[in-house]
Amino acid sequence: MRTIRIIKRRVHSLLHRSHADADLQREIEIHIQQLTNEAIAAGMTEAEARAMALREFGPIGQIQEKCRDTRRVSWIQDFVQDLRYGIRMLRQSPAFTAIAVITLALGIGANTAIFSLVDAVLLRSLPYRDPNQLVLMFHVPLDRPDALSALSYRDFTECRAQNGAFSQMAGNAFHDLTLTGAGEPTIVNTADVTPEIFPLLNAKPLLGRTLLPEDGKPGAAAVAVLSENLWRSRFGSNPGLIGQSIALDMRSFTVVGILPASFGYPEFAPHQDVWISVLQDPLFGPLTSKPGVRVMGVIGRLKPGVSLAKAQAEMNTLGARLAKEFPAEDSGLTFRIRPYRQVVVGNLKPALLILLSAVGLLLLIACANIANLLLSKATSRGREMAVRMALGASRARIVWQLLTESALLGLLGGVAGVLLAVWAVSGLQPFLPSEVVQIGSIHVGGPVLVFALLLSLAAALAFGLAPALLATPSNLQTNLKEGGERTGQRGGRHVRSFLAIAEISLAMVLLVAGGLLIRSFALVTSVNPGFDPNNVTEGEVSLPQFQYSTPQQWTAFSKELLARLHAQPGLQDSALAAPLPMDRQGQPSFAFSIVGNPPLPPGNTTTADWATVSPGYFHVMRIPLLRGRFFSEQDSPSNPNAAIISETLARRYFVNQDPIGRQMRFGFPPNGNVAREIVGVVGEVRDVALSQKPGPMMYVPFAQSPLYGGEVVVRSSLSASSVAAAIRQAVHSIDKDLPVTDVRSFRDALGQSISRERFRTFLLGSFSAIALALAAVGVFGVISYSASQRTHEIGIRMALGAQRRDVLHLILGQGAKLALLGLGIGVVLAFLLTRFIASLLYSVSATDPLTFGAVAIVLLGVAVTACYIPARRATRVDPMVALRYQ
Amino acid sequence: MPKPSDLLQGTLDLLILRTIARKPLHGWGIAKRIQTLSGDTLSVGQGSLYPALHRLENQGWICADWEESDLGRPAKVYSVTPEGRKQLERELKSWNRLSSAVHLLIQNA
Repeated sequence: MRTIRIIKRRVHSLLHRSHADADLQREIEIHIQQLTNEAIAAGMTEAEARAMALREFGPIGQIQEKCRDTRRVSWIQDFVQDLRYGIRMLRQSPAFTAIAVITLALGIGANTAIFSLVDAVLLRSLPYRDPNQLVLMFHVPLDRPDALSALSYRDFTECRAQNGAFSQMAGNAFHDLTLTGAGEPTIVNTADVTPEIFPLLNAKPLLGRTLLPEDGKPGAAAVAVLSENLWRSRFGSNPGLIGQSIALDMRSFTVVGILPASFGYPEFAPHQDVWISVLQDPLFGPLTSKPGVRVMGVIGRLKPGVSLAKAQAEMNTLGARLAKEFPAEDSGLTFRIRPYRQVVVGNLKPALLILLSAVGLLLLIACANIANLLLSKATSRGREMAVRMALGASRARIVWQLLTESALLGLLGGVAGVLLAVWAVSGLQPFLPSEVVQIGSIHVGGPVLVFALLLSLAAALAFGLAPALLATPSNLQTNLKEGGERTGQRGGRHVRSFLAIAEISLAMVLLVAGGLLIRSFALVTSVNPGFDPNNVTEGEVSLPQFQYSTPQQWTAFSKELLARLHAQPGLQDSALAAPLPMDRQGQPSFAFSIVGNPPLPPGNTTTADWATVSPGYFHVMRIPLLRGRFFSEQDSPSNPNAAIISETLARRYFVNQDPIGRQMRFGFPPNGNVAREIVGVVGEVRDVALSQKPGPMMYVPFAQSPLYGGEVVVRSSLSASSVAAAIRQAVHSIDKDLPVTDVRSFRDALGQSISRERFRTFLLGSFSAIALALAAVGVFGVISYSASQRTHEIGIRMALGAQRRDVLHLILGQGAKLALLGLGIGVVLAFLLTRFIASLLYSVSATDPLTFGAVAIVLLGVAVTACYIPARRATRVDPMVALRYQ
Repeated sequence: MPKPSDLLQGTLDLLILRTIARKPLHGWGIAKRIQTLSGDTLSVGQGSLYPALHRLENQGWICADWEESDLGRPAKVYSVTPEGRKQLERELKSWNRLSSAVHLLIQNA
């Protein structure tokens, strides 16, 4: 009952505010009338009595305000009023509003854009059940735990049999097969899997079934599961396809099921079209019987409650057992498991968190700037606030009103920021490093918008609170007396200086970080890769396994192709290799031993990267010969096996010895663990990444160790496009059905290999440039405000004989003091913080004195220049005008 | 906004409720009556009387109507609601507790 009455009253006073106010007015009027009547009865004149009554009653405005406050709905009315008032204030000073909104939009936009990356890469959950139980398994050399490689099929089955920590384990490999029949032949992305992968990833078929354990056994019938996309685009969504057969690489497979488009593994890869048992694959099927060939990617699901450490311990035991049991292939190797998510987002995480922190700093600088602007405004509104408080507005009420204005500003900035972020995210898409694009679509969606909204409000509070508190004096009288002009001036000046110092120091941190990355990037791009990538075009040729099933055929094809290329004018300088530098992803390094050296102690192993190359390769790539000879046409299968090693390998493993003529032994499919004579030593090549120091490397002649395809490299003065056309034409003149993929200039390939570095350098560089601009604006604002406040003082100084130069020094000195303080704090902060980007730097120390010094000089220069304009203006002051200036 | 918790504020609520519990009154009348009944020792400032009346009204302890009055024109007359009577009992009880405690303290100190 009481509640209803209360609600009724509040709704009433909300809807009929003017009515309620009139009631209050009348009620008070009656009271005053009574007081007046009493005074008249006591013998006063009417006018005297009225005045006396008013005096006795007290401050009517304040009492009315207090009565209104008891209504408890007043906050809604207040809010609406504040909002209206806020909009009016913002419209009254469009320049201020524009500057504040642009500044905020830059800050919030940058944050929102980076957060959309973080959301896509780090926050959005993987599309699998209990993704935290998923781990990937790798074989690694004991001495190089980061050289992750795939497993051999035999080792995979050994792991699968060991099931203490894992509930399921599945193998996978990826291969392009040619789908023929029912239209044009097309290449289909094929996943070669073991059937456990479907229950492991909880994949449910749209139609039919997935692979069953029997399908994964040797000798089982060839069956295939198709993707929904392939089923729709190629087979017109025909449900009758189940049970029919399709041809993959000219071999018949029976379709048993369709998987929904939502399923994919790995979820960041280009989507798979076909799933078959790995044993049925024309390439990988035969390789599964070779225990030295490591082609199986392995994913496992941990049993609930099993820790990573426990699983790793179990795999260490297994690794040791396999090394003992199969010394030929597995000695010196062990297993390493890594959480699936970590592998997927891997090295992106630290870089993203650093970018997020950087934009956070940027927003802080933006907030400091707006706080400064608001402070200047609040000071000029000090008298207005004092008058309102005298009329009964409480301090809290006015602070609320000012905060409402700030929130309005924050939301405006937020909206502009989100628009900026949407634009930036779509504009940056082509420049994103490939692995980011693969992980997930980056867009400004729900969580990102919520983030932007919260950020806008937090920013509004950050830049609005101090000015609001300073604008509302705690001592009314001094304010009214002083005319309000100086409200909060003393406190305000300190806050302003503090903000300027904070801006400079934060800008310093960002600039140092940006400077370090730029310097590091410059070093990476100017590093000598060990070969000359200019004027080289590359293209990949892959031979289908059914037509080209023997190594002899592979060799014959490569000979024929090179002969045809060499016959063309301008293409003489061409060769074949696999893999090329920067294209080494997932290629295992090989364990090797040197013939004639004492055997290594058990558990130790020496490994090196490898490439198989045609004789012209070193000449095409301009890799220098240091000793011995290059490969020649004589290094054919009928002659002794040859090898060329890199300088690093020679220096590390042939200390004070001549490697030429010595033999080393290492496995290379298909001709196993054979001894090869070292015929030459060549210069080192950065083959993994430009930023990675070259490791030991060995080369074998393509004719002795062919693969089912390779990369054609051509050095030519012809244009890249005509070279590309010539490569395609040469390949198609041998076999018109062979696809040539990834044709591009080597420069582009190199550029792609550093796309991640370029991306983060570009972003952090832009952020620090914005920070510099904002800090400059901030310092300018503080100094010009302070100079205008000191006009009177300057006038006196000039009247007493100060020269313009003295005034200039006075103002510049004030600015320089702020800048130096900011720089000092900034250097300390940067010194403490840059260690977090050390992992992103290449051959630059995180405390590189050159970068620190250069940034400090630039920042100081910009800050002093920003002070120069108000300082000049101050010197032009006419002393007479200044003295009269109040 | 903090709840009024100081003694005077609470006491004022109590005095108002007690005064109009006997007979509905307008603001002027309440002020006069408190003054008279306390033998002119207590004088309620208008600065706190009207906000207190509005607060009590908004809390539902009292209600008001514009009625013809002894002042010769309609005035806003306050009366206690049933819930207000219960509230008055509670406040009286706590006031008695408090005053006897204070009394004891003064006696024995």
